[in-house]
Amino acid sequence: MVELEGYVVVPLRTTPDAQHCHSVYMREHFIRLMDPNKPKGRTLFLLNVPPYVTEDSLRTVFGRAGSIEAVEFAAKPGKEETIKWYEGTGEPFSSTRPPFVFKVAYIVFEKNSSIGKALALQSIDLFNSSGECIIKTGMELWHDEYDSNYLLDAQKTKLQISKYMAGYDKRERAAAEAAKTGEADADGWVTVGKEGRNAGFEQKASVIGRLEEKVARGNKTKELKNFYTFQIRESKMQNIVEMRKKFEEDKRKIGLLKQSRRFKPF
Amino acid sequence: MPGKLVGSSEEAARTGTQANAHAEDHSDLEHSAPSTDDGFDEPKPPIAKSVPPSTAIPKKNNFKQRGNTKNVKPPTLEEMKELRDTQNLFHSNLFKLQVKEMLEELQLKQKYTDFIENWLESFTVFTRQLKDGLMERTHLEVPMKLSEKPTGFVFSKPTREPYLIGAAATGTLLGPKIVVDVALEMPKESLHKEDYLNLRYDQKRALYLTYVTERMMESPDYAQDQFNFNYYANNPLKPVLELIPVTKQVNKHLQVRLFITAPLSSFKPGRFVPWNNNIRPSFYGDEWDEQDPLPSTQHYNANVLFDLTLSENQAQLDKAFKSRRNFQDGLLLLKVWLRQRQLDIGYSGFGAHILAAFIVYLNKQRILHQSSSSYQVARTVWNQLANTDWTKGISLAVDPIQTEELNKFAEHYDVCFIDFTGQHNLCANIPLYLYKRVREEAKLAVELLNDMKLNSFPLIFMQKCPLYSRVDNILKISNYSCINQMLTLHSQPRIKYDFANYGYPQLLHLLTELLKKGLAERVHSILPLETATAAWPVENKAPVIGKYIQLGLILQPEHAYEVLNKGPAANDDLAGAEEFRRFWGEKSNLRRFQDGSITEAVVWGTAQDSPAKKRLIVRHVVLHLLEHHLQLDSKEVQYIGGELDQVYKLSPWFKVNKLKTKLSLDQDTDAEALSPHVIRCYDELARQLHGLNDLPLEIVSISGVSPIFRYCEPQPVLPQALLVENRILASTIQRVVIQLGQSGKWPTELGALRALKTAFLIEIGEKLEAQCRLHWVISADGLLVLKQGYCFLIELAHNKELALLKQEVTERGITTYVDNAASRFLERQHYILPKVSGALHSLHQTYSAFGSTVLLAKRWLATQLLDDGLWPDMATELLVAHLFQQRYAPQSIAAPQTGFIRFLQLLSHSDFNGELFLLNFNNSWQEQQIADLEHNYRSNRQSYPPLAVATSYDMQHAGRLWTSDQSPSQRVLGHVTRLARRALEIIETSLMSKDLRFVRPAQLFRASNEGYDLVIQFKPDLVPNSLSYDLGSPFVSFSQPNFSLPRAGSDYIARIVGLLRSAYSDFAAFFYNPHGGKELAIVWRPTTEFAAKPFKVTELQACRPCGNGKVQVLKETLLEDFKLLLKDFYLRIATPEELKREQREHQKPMRYFEANQAVEESKPKPKKHRKRKGTGKEAPPKKKRLIKSSTLKALK
Repeated sequence: MVELEGYVVVPLRTTPDAQHCHSVYMREHFIRLMDPNKPKGRTLFLLNVPPYVTEDSLRTVFGRAGSIEAVEFAAKPGKEETIKWYEGTGEPFSSTRPPFVFKVAYIVFEKNSSIGKALALQSIDLFNSSGECIIKTGMELWHDEYDSNYLLDAQKTKLQISKYMAGYDKRERAAAEAAKTGEADADGWVTVGKEGRNAGFEQKASVIGRLEEKVARGNKTKELKNFYTFQIRESKMQNIVEMRKKFEEDKRKIGLLKQSRRFKPF
Repeated sequence: MPGKLVGSSEEAARTGTQANAHAEDHSDLEHSAPSTDDGFDEPKPPIAKSVPPSTAIPKKNNFKQRGNTKNVKPPTLEEMKELRDTQNLFHSNLFKLQVKEMLEELQLKQKYTDFIENWLESFTVFTRQLKDGLMERTHLEVPMKLSEKPTGFVFSKPTREPYLIGAAATGTLLGPKIVVDVALEMPKESLHKEDYLNLRYDQKRALYLTYVTERMMESPDYAQDQFNFNYYANNPLKPVLELIPVTKQVNKHLQVRLFITAPLSSFKPGRFVPWNNNIRPSFYGDEWDEQDPLPSTQHYNANVLFDLTLSENQAQLDKAFKSRRNFQDGLLLLKVWLRQRQLDIGYSGFGAHILAAFIVYLNKQRILHQSSSSYQVARTVWNQLANTDWTKGISLAVDPIQTEELNKFAEHYDVCFIDFTGQHNLCANIPLYLYKRVREEAKLAVELLNDMKLNSFPLIFMQKCPLYSRVDNILKISNYSCINQMLTLHSQPRIKYDFANYGYPQLLHLLTELLKKGLAERVHSILPLETATAAWPVENKAPVIGKYIQLGLILQPEHAYEVLNKGPAANDDLAGAEEFRRFWGEKSNLRRFQDGSITEAVVWGTAQDSPAKKRLIVRHVVLHLLEHHLQLDSKEVQYIGGELDQVYKLSPWFKVNKLKTKLSLDQDTDAEALSPHVIRCYDELARQLHGLNDLPLEIVSISGVSPIFRYCEPQPVLPQALLVENRILASTIQRVVIQLGQSGKWPTELGALRALKTAFLIEIGEKLEAQCRLHWVISADGLLVLKQGYCFLIELAHNKELALLKQEVTERGITTYVDNAASRFLERQHYILPKVSGALHSLHQTYSAFGSTVLLAKRWLATQLLDDGLWPDMATELLVAHLFQQRYAPQSIAAPQTGFIRFLQLLSHSDFNGELFLLNFNNSWQEQQIADLEHNYRSNRQSYPPLAVATSYDMQHAGRLWTSDQSPSQRVLGHVTRLARRALEIIETSLMSKDLRFVRPAQLFRASNEGYDLVIQFKPDLVPNSLSYDLGSPFVSFSQPNFSLPRAGSDYIARIVGLLRSAYSDFAAFFYNPHGGKELAIVWRPTTEFAAKPFKVTELQACRPCGNGKVQVLKETLLEDFKLLLKDFYLRIATPEELKREQREHQKPMRYFEANQAVEESKPKPKKHRKRKGTGKEAPPKKKRLIKSSTLKALK
């Protein structure tokens, strides 16, 4: 058993007789600001998990150490990384998939005792008793992937859609209802909608920008430009400064071009 | 005021140092030059510089008086003037500064000027001590064919000192190889009165040259130097001595050319007027009817006059250019421009001396002012070149020439520009087409200068535009017997005497006249493509030149591919019809046309012929004319046009007749000819979609976004898609984006919106099935529809989806819309791509060569193992579109092959770091916007991808939409540049060489097999072949192609390679041919990536511990991963060397299928192109096997 910087290093084998395996670095997950989803004492942290390892395969392997509550991935250790990893993948009718890169994994066991058992594993074996790899690969995987992407059953999909839309309508109605009543919710917030007595304007960047622009335009019309001598003088000076600046800038550019020997025609 | 004082003293110091700098700068130049160093300021009298600086400061200086202003230095008058000039004269400082830098770069170094001065001095001393004498014996070969033995020649010593001519005299020498021309005048005494006749003068001249050369070789001063003879401007009557002085000082960068001339008074004035004959027919043993006037020998006369008038002309030029730095620099600019265009090469070249004379001419005409800046000189010359017509003649003569006389003079030449003496035509040898070409180029230069929207500097001065890449087709005749046959049988005696029996101009005249008449409107111009003759050692015999001709044809795209040549009506114009029949021979037939007319006509094809076939019409015409009129067999000449079109042809292995389709398809078809079928089918589908009844919302727009809809799909698309057990099988799918009418009822949640979109697509699918009986399958990407054997994928675009993707809520609770990767991708696919697609489609309608150029470019990149992930297909299309949009040449490209050559040039010579490729469709970008974009691009270069392409439809994403940091990455960009240079080199050598044939496609369209670390072979029966003509893989021998249909939209290999790249690109680069490649080539990243490194949690990818607390990445582990991901596809791993050895030894590689199906390729590879082996795959399979067996037998 190799240990490195507090990590237990175990080989990850895809076949029983694999020669060159990846090394997975494991330790108990512990940081100062614990994430409630990765509770202290029950979470195993895995580094350098190859891209093709799936949640299911990790569940199968570490299921031997104890029953598992959750398996989560992230591109690298860090607070928001897990959320980033799964961003956009949970949405229905979207083809976003998590990135295919080397990753880290968090395995949350149900019991504290499972961690020790897991750390005592000699290797992570991604194959079953008959030596077959438990990760789906090759044609099987690609065909499955294709089927799930390209071969939707129209009737089933329709049903799925109507179910989803019903849920959506319900949510929408609830939100509209809440906006109309104008009552404070549990935290004491009042939702202000477009309708109702206290309707505010839409909090959109474009709307706000338009309003600000209007104010600025109003200010501008009141201002006199190039009226006093000093203003004229200053604007002239400004002009010269700008011209000089442009000249200097062009010179600098030429300097850069010169370095790359761009002036030799032959 | 202390501020002012400080300011002025600073100013004084500045001006002072500047003045000093000038003084220093100029010490190495001509001392009398009064102008400043940059050549742009108007030359001022020298006093201007020593003016006390106080005057340079404006008297009223209020800037410094105000305490609150920041330190703004008051502008000097000079500065103000300079800034204003910049604005008025140039569009930007940038252009001015660039030209200034270039001129500085071109400035001759002091050591060369010193050397030239010294050399001339010593040569003068040398000529003084020459003595009169008889040439007794010479061990040198006189560089000309003599009618008598050279030994009788009497040498009389020169009476005039040798003098500099040409660039050396006008101070416009141009590197990198500096050629100093020196003239030595034969004294009057050495010429007899009768020497004007029958080339006697030229022989004397050659003998004189030989004599001087021999004496020079004997002299210890020149003993070390290299002596060569060469022909001036490929003219066998003008041998010159090329001397390369061997001294450290100039280190072989300098070369002296010695011209022999004669004084103008040597012969009777008027002896050499154009209408005189100075070579008698009897000289060539020809009979001439005494009654007929002797034919004029205007070209030969001009040839002699060139020598006779040289000193007078040079004196005038000297006078005009001496101490006028502005004129000199202006001429330098023009010379650079001319040389980049290769218009000054050879016998028919437009020499720079003509431009020098033209500057003087313009000055005399008061069009060009003495004090014009060098930029003004160049600009005025271009302008005047473009707007004046020299065919009627212009004259520089000191004594004014009457118009009538001028016209009489000009009649004898194509182009006429009379020199200072009023006797010699400077443009005597320039063919009309070449002169027109120069004018067109000049016109283009002015247009480029006037175009405020682009940086014209590199286009005018820096870009190499060799003439061969400016012509569409090339005719090359180098067969010795053909040339002789043409010269003896077909060249008119008159022409023969005129050019003193020099073959080249006779051939040029003969062929140009014939082709001009035969091609008429099809051709825009016929340009001679010459290469300068190489010098030969003085002891050797002079080579015979002019037995080879190469012509470039610029086609007129509107007429070039017409299938019919209509002659005069048979009943109206009998003589005309007879003449027409005689000209076209048996090809001409009497035909009745739909409008009722009956005329003689020649038919070259049918209107239904494929574009590639139509492009060969000009070839047919030319070859027919050559055969009919000059009895040249098509095998004996080379006609280069459409040579590369083969690569987008349909693979001969695929048999079209096995396909079930209503379309009438030809086996000999190509990707270009097949696209219209798809487009027609798509149009019909669009009609059906529009006509669908009872859709909840109307379909308002339908646009095809796949490359095929803009004629850019390099792989032939055949109607083969099938429906098998509810699955669609198709090799390609064509993407179509539709938009629906407005409705406010769409949900405001992404998931719900997408759900509804899918529901809508299903609805469309059902309606299509019910109303139009089309098969459909719903997929996550869109609706797959099968129609007439083509498979379309219909996507639904909705701008709410885009808005929802962009939507973000800031901390203040304000909703903003911010671009992100997903939204950008969606916007590109659904909104920008349809517009760009439309623009490219219309570009193809305007320039019919666009599509096929893209096909060639895409095929080339694919065969170089660059797929969409490494080099985006869109980037290729847009770069080619850039070629067609930008005005790089006066004429648009009419032949795809030329387009491809220019594409290679673009790749190999572009400064990707400094240039942003902007496609301003419809000119919708404003000048200011472009300036802002370029400014942002330059100052913020890091934020743009290595290759930046922008179109007018993606303003807010400019430069970042079509390419990314990963594709193409800096590495790939460098790789592509190198590949393009190499390919261009191969093309150029084969084009410009006399003996080589044009490259075969296999030489270009096959990657090198060197430089890769590993090759993973796939199982051939799992990877379908592309339908395009396969030129073979660089790694393995040819194998039985597999045309099985994959599931629609499944490109497994592309998907796996994408995954490999996303996970392992830190350790390896992956290359494969997206057009049916069956190998994956791998290059490991530099070894530093695999070295042991300290343990770091964030940098642990693929690492394993290796002791000492360090970790390391092992290639073996990665290979195991590759195998795992490629499971089922993976056949074996080998190094390229092993595969090469295998190929060489004809061992049967381990095959997944029956070995007897494998056809080995076994042609020995030419050594010349070691990198790109030119093994022909063109032969049909049967032949291939024959070749194989015979060589195998030979081996045993």
